[in-house]
Amino acid sequence: MVAATEARDTATTELARQGRTLLPALPALVFLFLAFVLPVWVLFLRSFTEPATGLGNYQSLVTDSVYLDVLVNTFFVATAVTISTLLLAFPIAWFLVIVPSRVARMVFAVILLSMWTNLLVRTYAWLVLLQDTGAINQFLMYLGLTSAPVPLVNNMVGVIIGMTYIMLPFIVLPIHATMSTLDPALMQAASIAGAKARTIFFRILLPLTLPGISAGCIMVFVMSLGYYITPALLGGVRDMMIAQLVAELIQKFLNWGLGSAAAFILLFITLAIYFAYVRLVGLVRPT
Amino acid sequence: MLLTLQRMGPGRYVLYAITAIAVFYLLLPIVFIPILSFNASRWLEFPPPGWTLRWYEQLFTEEQWIGSIWNSVKVAFLVTASAIVLALPAAFVLVRGKFLGKTALNAFFASPMIVPVVIIAVALYGFALQWGMAGTLFAFVISHLILALPFAIISIGSSLQTFDIAYEKSAMICGASRVQALLHVTLPSIRPGIIAGALFAFLISWDEVVLAIFMATPSLQTLPVKIWVTLRTDLSPVIAAASSLLIGMSVLLLGISALIKRTRK
Repeated sequence: MVAATEARDTATTELARQGRTLLPALPALVFLFLAFVLPVWVLFLRSFTEPATGLGNYQSLVTDSVYLDVLVNTFFVATAVTISTLLLAFPIAWFLVIVPSRVARMVFAVILLSMWTNLLVRTYAWLVLLQDTGAINQFLMYLGLTSAPVPLVNNMVGVIIGMTYIMLPFIVLPIHATMSTLDPALMQAASIAGAKARTIFFRILLPLTLPGISAGCIMVFVMSLGYYITPALLGGVRDMMIAQLVAELIQKFLNWGLGSAAAFILLFITLAIYFAYVRLVGLVRPT
Repeated sequence: MLLTLQRMGPGRYVLYAITAIAVFYLLLPIVFIPILSFNASRWLEFPPPGWTLRWYEQLFTEEQWIGSIWNSVKVAFLVTASAIVLALPAAFVLVRGKFLGKTALNAFFASPMIVPVVIIAVALYGFALQWGMAGTLFAFVISHLILALPFAIISIGSSLQTFDIAYEKSAMICGASRVQALLHVTLPSIRPGIIAGALFAFLISWDEVVLAIFMATPSLQTLPVKIWVTLRTDLSPVIAAASSLLIGMSVLLLGISALIKRTRK
């Protein structure tokens, strides 16, 4: 009896101690709860209650071909952007590992600058560069590669060029972080043992870099799924992605029920991919 | 051999070429827009037929543009101050605290970085309409703060992680009170982390587009919102001037943060 009370007392004091430890984080916790968790929760509820209680909103989103097209489109763009960023990022990361650090620092500075330049500004720049009278079409015509301007904007091409640009830093950094921890001696040993460069690449370098590659690809894919500004400005009317659908349904058509249901489909897909990744590979710390 | 420059063979020139193209691709918009902002042609012709400062004049004199710049500055300062005030104590708890569910708390504080911004934006938009906060400075600060807070916590937290708590303890053994030790030993040591956190909080707020679009009304806009609204009607060169201002701020703040990192070493 006495022992039980004592145990309870130590448990209570332990809880009190933990409570006191947490106290300084309370303002930030309360803030995030009120400004972030609560509004998102209310939005979630609205997807089931407006205009009528039930799953009606979700039903129309997964049965109406207009909305299904948006979903397919979203996945298509995210996949295309992931592939194109990977093809660029792998050689860049490799370059950054082998060159003298002075050169690598300069390239890093460019990557960071691009990453921290306003999203809208970067998108606007591509809008101007890619338009019919823009610098890129002028250049192509000057080279004689084309006689009339190539439509590079207000279509899927524009969206993929712009999004690849924006996502590139997010995949170069994790691939570089993984590759820079590899020991060059490992590859030297393979070479001494008689392995050809091709074999070393496919059997050693690529597999060992895989954690960075997968982390970067997941990051780019998931971020691309939820992008709004870039597809809205560089894409055509038919290239709508799900984030645009959410924004337009709510801001333009005031259709809160359908809009919030679309938002939660997006959130669900995003979280599902993250959790699946964390389960499979473990938490990768962003660098 | 694949990770040693001298032994890589001619294959390395492929890497050089791809990186050179990528660097060009990354720099092109950032360099192109400031050049374009001096273009005399109303239609952004390229190459420019002449040069002018007209678009900057319009940016700094037209009521709507200059007003939106001031709003951006005000919001960014308020967000920075609030982010540090909230993040500093939270970072101490996350780094030094021993309690159940520490990993969960870490994940919770990082969660605004995972949820697509457009979802946070429409959720807050609903709240703003309901409580009559749309188009107020308060709504802008609250929304930007959600995104800035995780960066501030991570930045301060990583600085605190590398700080050896023994210094703080020895100050207390030498007779300093707990508060004195914190103020005179710990805080000065983690100052680079606090400054970096503040810089990034400022930049996140200054650059925020999606949340700002939903918090704005025609009478209260930040600079990115004004650019967005103008972009939807035409490609006026004033946008290029305004964009150059945003690029300039990024260059400035990243430069400062690089300087701090260097002096730290």
